[in-house]
Amino acid sequence: MAKKSFRDFLIALEDAGEISRIKKIVDPREMSGLAAQNDKATIFEEIEGYPGWKTATALLSSRRRLAITLGCDEDKIAQTFEAASARQIEPELVKDAPCQEVVKTGDEVDLTSIPYPLMHVHDGGPYISGTFVVSNDAEYGRNVGSYRMMYRSPKETGIDLVSPSDMRFYYQRALDRGEPLPIAVAIGVHPFEMLAASYKAPIRTDELTLAGGLHGGPVPLVKCKTVDLEVPADAEIVLEGEILPTGWTADEGPFGEFSQISGDVKWNPVFRVKCITHRRDPIFYMLQMPWENDWLSAPVTEAAGLQALRVASVEPVAIRAPVGSCGYWTLIASIRKRPGEGKNALLALLSVAEVKLAIVTDEDIDINNPDDIDWALTFRVQADQDLVTLSGARGKHVDPSIRAWELGQGGLPLTAKLGIDATIPEGIPRWLYKRIQTYGKERVRLEDYL
Amino acid sequence: MSALCKVIKAKLTETPMQFSEVVDDHLEVSWRDFLQAWGQLREEDIFKRDDIGRYYIEGGAAEAIAAETKAE
Repeated sequence: MAKKSFRDFLIALEDAGEISRIKKIVDPREMSGLAAQNDKATIFEEIEGYPGWKTATALLSSRRRLAITLGCDEDKIAQTFEAASARQIEPELVKDAPCQEVVKTGDEVDLTSIPYPLMHVHDGGPYISGTFVVSNDAEYGRNVGSYRMMYRSPKETGIDLVSPSDMRFYYQRALDRGEPLPIAVAIGVHPFEMLAASYKAPIRTDELTLAGGLHGGPVPLVKCKTVDLEVPADAEIVLEGEILPTGWTADEGPFGEFSQISGDVKWNPVFRVKCITHRRDPIFYMLQMPWENDWLSAPVTEAAGLQALRVASVEPVAIRAPVGSCGYWTLIASIRKRPGEGKNALLALLSVAEVKLAIVTDEDIDINNPDDIDWALTFRVQADQDLVTLSGARGKHVDPSIRAWELGQGGLPLTAKLGIDATIPEGIPRWLYKRIQTYGKERVRLEDYL
Repeated sequence: MSALCKVIKAKLTETPMQFSEVVDDHLEVSWRDFLQAWGQLREEDIFKRDDIGRYYIEGGAAEAIAAETKAE
């Protein structure tokens, strides 16, 4: 299958009736407010002061749009993502790239030439939220991730490297040598690239091979103009440059976080841009926080949960990372249980990234139905026997309950975790959970009597 | 320093402001011109931040107001 571009994805969404195009001229300061009132994804066709540029936003702000992206039903997102990403297809290098139709270096480099949006009331500045950031380490290889970038000046942005990540590790290694870390930032790539960037792959794993697996074909890469890195050739815009070896010293934030909270001021490094390349008619991607980030997180968290369960020899039936916990902090799974596996499943799910609440139940429970989950929690759980708590696990700064402000600059937070075993306890007969069944329902039809 | 820079600088010396409040004060200016002015001030390295993320500049009333404001 041929690799699809950001533009191909926009066409697919439009064909599904999920995009509205705004043709009136829009000030960049109005984009976020307009998009927030639109149930559909939005493309701004004309932006005041930015002739030739468009902006697309809210492309993945629902589970339905995510299912369209993956070409599956909404309840099969995790399984589809897991199967496709497991294929792992190496990227290929190409020479001609749409993302380099226009090349700006030296004095031409000016971030104000991009319709850099102000997204939220309490943001510390305009932000690029939908980034695909490529870095490299001589020992560990290429890494891809997504990091927000706050406008500072025409050639500089802040970059959020507070949370633990492979790129933070690369940057720390460069910093220890007193060197900058070269990076390339692609904006406007297919969601498969964004999903791969969200995936917490083991270090030395090239996330671009995951993107290739999702596409069913190699991701075409092109060499950057000023840094020794490659980026997706079909991207809309690319920023090339380096993270300065100044450490976590520059104010950055607040920003409307994927936790659905405004966040606070952080201390972060600075990204200096040396080159901007883009298509002749670029489409800027404004990733809508928190929804697009949350829906991008969900399949990654769910797939990691499925894998963890299988490693623990537990058979999963269904899994869900609810958007209320940002597709990130909670995993709910139903399993085909053998004795003791309720607890084994909890330990497996709580090992996933920063998941801090895991609920495991049986296969007869519909985990997409909150009432069904409540029912299982009520009648299959004894608090003194079915709760598992862990302390001192890796946490994430954006969770206020872990008091990250007490850590100081560059400190890493710890979190507690809770698991709830809502499977039928060992020793209690299943027949005690037999649901009420209405008598005669199969033999009569209401419409015959109305 | 541009005229817009001087206006923003004077205001932030007088009172701490969220970035969006500074933007709202200058909606008549094109977004690109505003960002250029903000970038010039950034390059002067004069911005301070208070507990609730507001920007201010030392040397005026803003400093004391910012010091009194603690995140609740």
